Parts: sequence; C-alpha cells; structure tokens
Amino acid sequence: MGKTLTFLGIESSCDDTAAAVVDSTGRILSSEVEGQVVLHAAFGGVVPEIAARAHAERLDHVVERALATAGVGLRDLDGIAVTAGPGLIGGVLSGVMLARGLAAGTGLPLIGVNHLAGHALTPRLTDGLDFPYLMLLVSGGHCQFLIVEDVDRFRRVGGTIDDAPGEAFDKTAKLLGLPQPGGPAVEAEARAGDPRRFAFPRPLLDREGCDLSFSGLKTALLRARDAVMANAGGLRLQDRRDLCAGFQAAVADVLAEKTRRALSLYLELSPARAVCAVAGGVAANQALRARLETVCQALDVQFLAPPLRLCTDNAAMIAWAGLERFRAGLVDPADLVARPRWPLDATAPVLIGSGKKGAKG
Amino acid sequence: MTGLYLGFDTSAAHCAAALLWVRPEGSRTAVVAEPMAKGQAERLLPMIEGLMAAQGVTFADLAAVCVGTGPGNFTGIRIAVSLARGMALSLNVPAIGVTGFDAARQAAGLAQPHWALIDAPRGQVYAQKFGPDATPPQIVPTETAFDAPVVRWSDLAADAIAVAVAQAGARLARDPQPRPAPFYLRSADAAPPSDPPPAILP
Repeated sequence: MGKTLTFLGIESSCDDTAAAVVDSTGRILSSEVEGQVVLHAAFGGVVPEIAARAHAERLDHVVERALATAGVGLRDLDGIAVTAGPGLIGGVLSGVMLARGLAAGTGLPLIGVNHLAGHALTPRLTDGLDFPYLMLLVSGGHCQFLIVEDVDRFRRVGGTIDDAPGEAFDKTAKLLGLPQPGGPAVEAEARAGDPRRFAFPRPLLDREGCDLSFSGLKTALLRARDAVMANAGGLRLQDRRDLCAGFQAAVADVLAEKTRRALSLYLELSPARAVCAVAGGVAANQALRARLETVCQALDVQFLAPPLRLCTDNAAMIAWAGLERFRAGLVDPADLVARPRWPLDATAPVLIGSGKKGAKG
Repeated sequence: MTGLYLGFDTSAAHCAAALLWVRPEGSRTAVVAEPMAKGQAERLLPMIEGLMAAQGVTFADLAAVCVGTGPGNFTGIRIAVSLARGMALSLNVPAIGVTGFDAARQAAGLAQPHWALIDAPRGQVYAQKFGPDATPPQIVPTETAFDAPVVRWSDLAADAIAVAVAQAGARLARDPQPRPAPFYLRSADAAPPSDPPPAILP
C-alpha cells in the first residue's frame, strides 16, 4: 500500500463552501461545509453572482477551519484537490484560484477534480467498493446513472433531459408555499397526503432506456394546484399534502423503473459483488430510498447510501477523488481549468435539452 | 516597510504583476503585463512565477501579497483576490487589498485634492475623491462635472497598475489590514421571484 497520504479537498461549485482533510486509508480528519441557504432564500433559487461573492470571501476561512479541526498544517499534506467543474463558474474559479495559491506557496501537488467524480467515487471512500458499481446521482443540479468502471472511467447509461429531481422538489415547494430547500418540506407534507388523488404523469416511462425528465411533472403540478385553488380561493392544507404525495410518488415511480433498467445494463457486466450506490441530496428522501432499495432487493443487488453529509456537496469527496487520481498517476494541469460544463463520460451522447454548449455534467 | 512585495491585478481586460523591493537605499520594481480579455485564471499564476524566476526570487522571499480589488470585472477581481488569499495562507504573510482608486492615486502621486475615476458599464463611472473633502467610492454618470483634477485608472497601462498596487499595498502593510475582499461597488443583479406564493387555507 505504501505510505499513507493526506489530502486537502476544496469544493465551491454550487452554494456550499467546503474544505476537508482526508487520508488514503479513507479516514476523514475533517469536513467543513458552510451553506448559503439564507443568502439565496429571498430569490427562490441559487443566484450565481451571490454564490460567487460568498465563496470568494469564505473559502480561506473554511480551509483554515478544516486544517485546524484535522490538527494538521498545510505542510503536513501530500496534496491538494479542488473542484474544477462542472458548476457555477464564479465559485469554481474562486476555489481553483485559492487552491493554486495554496499550492504555489507550499509546492504541493494540485489536482483538479470533476465534482461528479467526487460524488461517484464516494462509495469507495465510505465502503471501499470495488469497480464496477452502479451510481445513481440525484441532486438539485444533477440526475444520472453511471457505471463506475475505474477511477477515471464512468459510463453514463442515462440521465435527465431537463430538470434534476432536486430542482423539481424545490420548485414544487415554491409553488406550494413551502420553505426551501424543498426536498424535506415536500417529503414531510407527502407523509400525510394521498398519493393517488392526483394523476401526475410519469415522464419518459414509456420510452426505452434510462433517460429521465422532470420538467413536465412540474408543469402538471402547477396546473393541478391552480385547479384546486380556483375552487377553494387558496391552497388548502390537505390539497397541498395530496399534491406533495402525488408529486413524490411520480418521481419515485420514474426513478425506480429507470434504476431497474440501469441495473439490468450494469448486471450484464457480471460484477463479483453487485452494488447500486446513491449520492446527492435527493438520496435523503426516505420514500424514494425505500423504493430504490426494493428495486435492488428484487435483483439481488446491494443498495448503498453513504451518510447524508457525504451524499450532499462536501469537500471530503473531492479530497478522496484527488487522492485516487494522484495514486493512479492521473495528474494533468489541464484538469485545473475551471469550467461550467464537464461531462464525466465524454463518449455518451449529448442529452436533449442540455443546451447548445453540450451536456453540463 | 522594507521587503519584497508582489502586486497583481486582473480587474479589467489585462493580466499584470509587479515585484517591488522596498529598501532603505531606494526602491526597485520589475513588472510583467499582457492585455487579456479572458483566460486570466490560467495565466495569472504562471505569469507571476515567470516574473519571480526571472528576478531570482521565490515565494518565500515575499513580505506581503498585494492585490487589486476593483471595482471592475467581477470575475476578474475574484480571480486575483482568491489567488492572493491562497498565497497569503500558504506563505503566512499578509494579503493586502488595494482598490483601483488607491492604485490610481498612487500612480498619479498627487498631493492636492483629486478624483480617482474608473470606467464602469452602462455610461457610468466609479469615482472617489481624495483630499480634505474626500468622498467614499460611488457610482456617477460619465458626464458628471468633477470639482477637482481627475486621475483615470482606466487610462493607466496595465504594468503601471500592477506597480501601483504593489506600492500602495506596501504602504498599507505598515498597519494590520483585513483580508482582501473584492470591491464590487455594485450589488449582485438578482430580483426576488415575481410570482407570489399561494394563499394557504386551513
């Protein structure tokens, strides 16, 4: 195995400013995450310029906290890893520049990490998984199925062609007067609701493959809301609960069926130990998680959900991905170019609806 | 304060860095600058490293890192400020923020009252008056009549800006300074959502 290596990780690609210290045995010495929910609350979503401003003035403080909590100095490290994309470019740039400054002053190796690779390699940090495994990444900004074949080989077998589920949860919460982030609020309401009262669409369920779509569901929810509000002159609490339950059930049905299809593609590889891992904030939803577990059980596949703090955006996963790349000799200065779009699987076809500049991730 | 100071600025369409040796027997500078509309994030550090190597100095020789904080291009000032903060943390030296107004004033070397001006978008100009009746930085229309001589930061060459940042920073470094922060002067363009949440009934 050789000497134990210790890396600092830095993450600033969305609305969390994060730094962590992780070693090559998988020990997380510290993982600091400073969120920005309050800053964006009035705007109904993350405002890129506001996020960038916060990252630029918080990053070094968060790094200092991560080092102090870990009880290490910069000179005790073996390398620095930083998210170089995909994400909101202002925050990514601040992270990369801070990391460049840290590396310049210490002479430490600096590794640019793809944020999605950070999520996708997390099951190796938490559970030491062997390749290949299936990864379902479901967050506010992303939704994709990846067969993780190696440290730098990710086969994308499907993904959303429009919104990410986390975004759909947030928009649903907004339309129904619930607080942000929408996931926990909608889930709580759904518990007391009737999922069968509203017939919401299951987008793309009738199509082959593992691609998903959530924007039509959002529109259907708006129409159903307006219909019940027109009758009542406002939104009744029970109507809201039923809308949440119906919406969540539709998301669960789509994710469950597409996961089943992705699993069958994965199982064609005959993995020695078949595992389906999830990451992203949406993985915290208990109802969705239960459905995914059922799908996995039916196919005799182990379902793995890392602890929530390592499922949502964090820097421990970036430090770990940096360590994995460093050990594999995958150190390329070109990886340090900050970029808003950076698909993990460059060979996968560009998704419909991902814009003229290509897939964002 | 004697010592070696690094100054850099990417707050407009340039990438510029300067070294300033402050010594009892006199000061000396070395500077490198390029016009640059994009790619500053990739170019800035290699440019600094090249400048230092050419002068035979290393990061360990620096007394402080001085950075232009704007106002100017939001992304550009974040690039420079973030690098400066990272350097300061790893070198355990202060990072000193220098606004464009301070840099313009430094470059002009004016003793009498004057306005320092920086071009702003949409027919406006960032302005700050120095002297007995000094003003805080503000945004005014370009056609404003100024009641004192003006110094235009935007007319300075990029290398002169980098030198002025290092010089002003070296002067500020005599006193403890807060960490450099981007000086935007304009708030982030963001509007609250227009569609109000629904009225909730029991």
